[in-house]
Amino acid sequence: MVQVNEKIHVPKDGKRNSYLGIDVGSVTLKFVLMDNDQRVLSQVFLRNQGSPIDSVKLGMAEMRSQIEKNPELQEYAIRACGTTGSARYLTKAVVGGDLAKTEIIAHAVATQSLYPDVRTILEIGGQDSKIIILRDGIIVDFAMNSVCAAGTGSFLDHQATRLNIPIEDFGDYAVKSKNPASIAGRCTVFAESDMIHKQNAGYSKEDIIAGLCDSLVRNYLNNLSKGKDLEEPIVFQGGVSFNKGIIQAFKKHLDRKITVPKNGLNVLMGALGMAILSREYYINNEIDTVFRGLRMTDIDFRTRTFNCGDCPNNCSIVECSIVENNEVIARWGSRCGKWEVF
Amino acid sequence: MIVSFPNMGYSWPAFKTLIECMGVKVVLPDPTNREAVKIGVKYSPEFVCFPFKPTLGDFVSAIKKGADTLVMAVDCGPCRFGFYHAVQERILHDMGYKDVRVIPLDQADLLEFKWVKTLFEVTPTKNLFLYTKAVKAVQYFIKKTKYIEDISTAEGLIRCYERNKGDTTRVVKKLLIKLDETNKINELRKFKSVITNEFKKIDIDRSRNPLKVALSGEIHITLEPYDNLDIRRKLGEMGVQLYQNLSVYDWVIHKFHLNFHRKWLEYLARPYMPMDIGGEAIWVIGEYIDRARSGFDGFIHAYPFTCMPEISARTILTNVLYKKYDLPIIFFSFDEHAAESGFRTRLEAFVDLIQGRREKKKHEKETKLEKKLKEPSYEIHGGSLYNSVVQFIQAG
Repeated sequence: MVQVNEKIHVPKDGKRNSYLGIDVGSVTLKFVLMDNDQRVLSQVFLRNQGSPIDSVKLGMAEMRSQIEKNPELQEYAIRACGTTGSARYLTKAVVGGDLAKTEIIAHAVATQSLYPDVRTILEIGGQDSKIIILRDGIIVDFAMNSVCAAGTGSFLDHQATRLNIPIEDFGDYAVKSKNPASIAGRCTVFAESDMIHKQNAGYSKEDIIAGLCDSLVRNYLNNLSKGKDLEEPIVFQGGVSFNKGIIQAFKKHLDRKITVPKNGLNVLMGALGMAILSREYYINNEIDTVFRGLRMTDIDFRTRTFNCGDCPNNCSIVECSIVENNEVIARWGSRCGKWEVF
Repeated sequence: MIVSFPNMGYSWPAFKTLIECMGVKVVLPDPTNREAVKIGVKYSPEFVCFPFKPTLGDFVSAIKKGADTLVMAVDCGPCRFGFYHAVQERILHDMGYKDVRVIPLDQADLLEFKWVKTLFEVTPTKNLFLYTKAVKAVQYFIKKTKYIEDISTAEGLIRCYERNKGDTTRVVKKLLIKLDETNKINELRKFKSVITNEFKKIDIDRSRNPLKVALSGEIHITLEPYDNLDIRRKLGEMGVQLYQNLSVYDWVIHKFHLNFHRKWLEYLARPYMPMDIGGEAIWVIGEYIDRARSGFDGFIHAYPFTCMPEISARTILTNVLYKKYDLPIIFFSFDEHAAESGFRTRLEAFVDLIQGRREKKKHEKETKLEKKLKEPSYEIHGGSLYNSVVQFIQAG
């Protein structure tokens, strides 16, 4: 999928090339700094802090401190930056990204770089879940949950809090169960009332959690894989892939081998994919990056919304500007395209 | 008597002419907006298909502007559409608009001429001249719907080439107002050149090689930009050339039994769906096969949430036809939600997907792995405008 021309830039400052990928999801924020040989130099994984702008600043500060501590990393200069995730356009405007792509492409690219012959990608994140089908190196089909967040990480997180178990240990409990309880998976509201009933009836935590993992996987497969052939090799990633219970349930339902990327890369795939795409972008286009640099943490950004009111549509317009000089860096939301600044 | 009708994309100048030619005053509802949808959702049955809600909202907006007679199309077909006007009238009465009438414009079979009765019903004065008026009204209506179809065809073809974002949208707006103001038969006959001239003024970048995508699905959703989150404009700005068969003109001549293109689509769909089940299901299936055979890059199927016929078509498309014809397809079911991020993500990912496929196909062609593909063709009624636009894009 990634094609790189043999047209290599000669940078002026003599530093080595590195590429930054940012994935701002609904729950977490991921940064990956990658060098020319697709080696991960540095990574950041944080929970979102209110607005995407604040989170990105926090992530950037973290990355900056990592680079300042490590003299080896200071030899690198960031040549291009790409953003993905649900807040990709806002993030692109704020950090000065070169390109914004959807999570689906980013995940596919990253997974292919690690597993070149992958045919199916399962991804469950905080608020959305997807299936990506690849054949001969290109995406041929994908599905994303469109109507409801049932069967995603947020729901598991919520249930873990309710059962008073740290989310990190959730999977261990599920694996221990011998006899999973049956729990309705169609809708989180039903699943929760089912769980409360089972709790009150005296089922063990392990059985309830295993039952929950089972129903979540069932719901995911019913909703997304309608009529799709999930062929091996299958790679499972996203925040939920840390959960052993879910992996076990997938193995049971699909009866196939499931691979999960190691070294914490399973949650960084989106950001890694963007770093790879940025590299491709930098090498194919002889354009200097518009990246604001790691110093963007010092800039104050302000967002405001207002209603246009020029026509009965009355669109609500979002505007993002730099406080210091009132420069508008992005504005969107209108149906007619009148206010659009990118 | 002041008459109004609901919005359906660009079709308002045509419906306005149809009623104005009968000597009746027309009031247009506001373009469908958040407020109208809110009202529609509040007063509609919850599980009704989505077009019911914005059209009800449009009616309320028209009543507030002074309308007292509302015209709603009705098709005594197999799906819920046949009950729209009756239920909407009851809801409006319950809301307190007691004097409002909703008149059905019967389009089940236009050769039964039931629609003439509707036209006479909206005219207060009854005399022999009404027949000549009705002939004129229908003549103008058909001419205008044809031009509206031309405008939207040219828009889909040209937007992906525009250098300044928004040029095409402005031209379309201008042309619709111009068309609305053109009420002489001589000027109407020459309107095609007005359309081509306006579109030729757009500054286009001929070096682009856009993806070719067909948009199909339920007619109200695909035509009304508010309901479909402006999918046509978004795709165009992503660099996709959009082809759309659906239009009011296409529908009207189909109901006069003169649309041979639809008959052809029905013939193609026959092995998979033996009869018309409502909505656009049978034609969507036919169009998918047709587009797949003429080498398109992608196919978009848009329909309202809970639309039974379209969902039946969807299952046939994914489980049978996609495996057979291998034309990438994406489904969008639209409802009242206005959150665009998930919609945009899927749309962008789809465009990336078909781009990747095209590059791979190109590579295979270069290495002679695959036979030469047929170039897309689009020679449906009104081909002359299509040809002139394509010539303009190719050569200037």
